[in-house]
Amino acid sequence: MATDRNAKVTWTGSLMDGSGKIEGVGSGAFGPLDVTWASRAEEPAGLTSPEELIAAAWASCVSMALAHGLAGAGTPPERLETSVTVSFQPGEGIIKGAIEIVGTVPGIDHDGFVEQAEGARRNCPVSKALTGIPEVTLAATLATA
Amino acid sequence: MPRIVRDADVVWEGNLARGEGAITAASSGAFTALPYSLPTRIAAPEGKTSPEELLASAHGGCFTMSLAGELTAAGTPPGRLDVHCRITMDEVEGQGHLIVHSALAVRARVDGLDAEAFAKAVDAAHEGCSFSSLLRAAGVGIDIETTLDGGD
Repeated sequence: MATDRNAKVTWTGSLMDGSGKIEGVGSGAFGPLDVTWASRAEEPAGLTSPEELIAAAWASCVSMALAHGLAGAGTPPERLETSVTVSFQPGEGIIKGAIEIVGTVPGIDHDGFVEQAEGARRNCPVSKALTGIPEVTLAATLATA
Repeated sequence: MPRIVRDADVVWEGNLARGEGAITAASSGAFTALPYSLPTRIAAPEGKTSPEELLASAHGGCFTMSLAGELTAAGTPPGRLDVHCRITMDEVEGQGHLIVHSALAVRARVDGLDAEAFAKAVDAAHEGCSFSSLLRAAGVGIDIETTLDGGD
């Protein structure tokens, strides 16, 4: 069954001097969130941006896919900490994604964890929508007890 | 212009079916520890966000800024843009779950802009928005429905 999710965005004025708002999302989980060109292209100053939202979508998707894979292998995670960094070059586009995962997973060794993390990175729906990013890196490690 | 970097952090605890995660906008701090789970991702959201909802926010935000940029460059900066984005995830035979579609509905109020110039700006925004480019490259369908409110 298809799943739809929505967001509403408004903008007033020119790109450089105007400002926008992610007014809200279908779930009501967040918003309104202000956005501006300056906070997207320079220091965020507390404001989110499309690239940060892509990073959030990606980190949440990879985490879920990894939890699924690990559980399927008989080693469900206690905890996964996933950070994603998205790099944007104005005029060029989104040029890099860096995924870092630290897992607390009883009963798995390093190689097994890395293999599961690779699978999650390849197969999660957001990763598959972002295959056009030229460089994607993954660093997966187990938390030291 | 130097490279722009944005980070997000997620903590997930437990297996997929019964576990839960928390999503934080790490660069800006604009949102912190938003909960999400499998049931609320694929069924009713019950107040919780999801990867697809974040993609809808990202695509809506990216396209809106791109269109504001095109209209500004054409000498007709927008009075107001209202953009709605709907992301659809579906199970595709043999490929599992995929992001299959993004639907953008754009309403613009722009003084001194005719329909032809508006259509040109929308096309250019679609070409120029970095996230639209990625979705196109991955074969995700994108529809754009536009309405121009006369500013004059």
